[in-house]
Amino acid sequence: MRASTSNLLLIGPAALMVVALFLYPLFFSLVSAFTQDDLSFTLDHFVKVFELYSNDIKFTIIIVLSSVVLLAILSIGIAATLTLSPFPKLVAVLALLYRLPLFIPFIVAAQMMRTFLAKNGLMNNTLVAMGVMTPFETISLLGWSGIIITFVWKQLAFSTLLISGAMAALNRDQIQAAQNLGASRLRILVDVILPQVMPTIGVALVLSTVTIMSVLSVPLMIGTGSPTMITADIAFRVNSYGDYPVANALGMVSYLICAGLAWFYLRQSLKDKGALS
Amino acid sequence: MAHLDIRQLQVGYGDKTILHGINLQVQKGEMIALLGPSGCGKTTLLNAICGFVPTQSGEVHIAGHEITQLPAERRNITMVFQSYALWPHMSVAQNISYGLKVRKIPKAQAHKRVLDLLSIVNLEGFENEKVTNLSGGQRQRVALARALAVEPDVLVLDEPLSNLDAKVRLSVRHELKALQKKLGFTSLIVTHDQEEALVMADRVAVLNQGRIEQLGTPEDIYQQPETPFVADFMGADNCIIYKTSEPNVQLHLPNRSTAQTFALYFRSSATQVQAFSNSKNEAGLTLSGLVEQTAFLGQQYRHTVRSGEQVLQADSRECWPIASQVSLFVPPQALHVFDLATHETSNAFQSNLRG
Ligand SMILES: Nc1ncnc2c1ncn2[C@@H]1O[C@H](COP(=O)(O)OP(=O)(O)O)[C@@H](O)[C@H]1O
Ligand SMILES: [Mg+2]
Repeated sequence: MRASTSNLLLIGPAALMVVALFLYPLFFSLVSAFTQDDLSFTLDHFVKVFELYSNDIKFTIIIVLSSVVLLAILSIGIAATLTLSPFPKLVAVLALLYRLPLFIPFIVAAQMMRTFLAKNGLMNNTLVAMGVMTPFETISLLGWSGIIITFVWKQLAFSTLLISGAMAALNRDQIQAAQNLGASRLRILVDVILPQVMPTIGVALVLSTVTIMSVLSVPLMIGTGSPTMITADIAFRVNSYGDYPVANALGMVSYLICAGLAWFYLRQSLKDKGALS
Repeated sequence: MAHLDIRQLQVGYGDKTILHGINLQVQKGEMIALLGPSGCGKTTLLNAICGFVPTQSGEVHIAGHEITQLPAERRNITMVFQSYALWPHMSVAQNISYGLKVRKIPKAQAHKRVLDLLSIVNLEGFENEKVTNLSGGQRQRVALARALAVEPDVLVLDEPLSNLDAKVRLSVRHELKALQKKLGFTSLIVTHDQEEALVMADRVAVLNQGRIEQLGTPEDIYQQPETPFVADFMGADNCIIYKTSEPNVQLHLPNRSTAQTFALYFRSSATQVQAFSNSKNEAGLTLSGLVEQTAFLGQQYRHTVRSGEQVLQADSRECWPIASQVSLFVPPQALHVFDLATHETSNAFQSNLRG
């Protein structure tokens, strides 16, 4: 009895923070998304959301999925190189380079990408100067591809950090054991390393999804305006119309997209565990 | 010609050299034990043979082919790791058959080989078990089966028994030796346990600080250690420095002048505890001293005896009372005598002086 009281006291402050800063706003936006001004139930806000923004929702889903797939491929590639490369110098350089985007805020990353990817940006100018393209052939990568490139570039550091950490935590002997049975590095990656770091890859990708879903600066600065991502629409509803109910309904949609991916991940990891036991 | 031929091998990490000029010839079907204290470079030597660490100089040959620069995956040398290094996400059968899968052996044939190996290592019926559900001894045997599955040119074992508890260790030790005799694989086994090395190996190489101090049959190593380090490491851990005969230290060696300074090493089991007597002119070493401590070992008592500056251990079936004065006698054949002029720099010897 006394123990449980003191336990309650101990977790009290943390629980209070969660309630005040997370559950209450969540509950509030839930209510606001589903009610009219007189608090009666309505689906009007969602109807409006789908009338006005269904293209943007599709656009967001496509951006998120492509970014996550690219992220998975690239960060596994880099982490595997860090773990398996026989060249220590390459590993040292790569280990330094891949972390840099960690220390750059999204808005700065977006600004950099803007000057890099624009029609007369750094990338195209360099290509033209090298004679690879003529100025007439240059295309602007601003828009959906620019958004994906920026997200992947920025999140790559984070997911590589997690995944390469998990790979480094594997017992080195396990890799050597496969090696002296004749397995190539690629085989070792596929057969020995990946199955064991899958949970971490899942966590890295789910967390990256949540981050991508919540960044406003990148679609605003790199996007072409329409279609755009849900975050930009929420900001627009709030700033231009003070329309909180529709903004909250849009928020619900992004919750659902994240929840969908999280569900997929959980189901997958449960299945893997089931297969093992 | 030797099956595995290591010539002047020098290996290190970065600028630090760990192994200095190792020469070792292993015959086909032979089991050699690498024996040495922790940190002397045993694992490093195995890693170099497997190709996990690059060599600084020297050569490694297998069956007449040089493999010094060959990457690990093309060497056909397999290792049984100290940690077993089984893959926890694979079943016992998947672990064992992995090398066969990599070599594209047909499934049916690989499966048959897995069953054969499981029966060889006494794990019938375990093929679908998770390796994480196995005991230490069982994991050890899975690791062994996995390493043997591909019929390696050389099998290396890195302290394979050190993670097992004492009883299991004894039985696995015998199984391993019997298996090695039956299958006749060429192997190098690393251990820091002298008994293990003596029991299992055809020949023993004693390593000290990255050098082979002595290579020989178990009997040679045990009975005729060539250096103070080997003597000490093989259990002759009583050491005294003999300068001249004094009343309480008398040395008579047949066919040998006793006018030099010697380091004498001998086992506590070869040391006889006798009632104190002053004049003894028998061949051998006679010391007198006081019993400081006794410990019951089961078969006998171990006496800690102080003789002047030196503290010695002597075993006897009789328990001599503490503080009684006794004579210790070591027969000449049990004495390992090292001329200090030639063995001055041995570390074992110095650490013994301090201890
Ligand atoms: N990866 C490594 N990097 C640097 N030094 C190492 C490494 N592995 C081992 N050493 C050093 O090499 C020496 C020999 O180690 P090791 O071969 O593991 O000894 P043993 O197996 O005989 O106990 C030790 O001094 C150890 O500190
Ligand atoms: Mg070791």
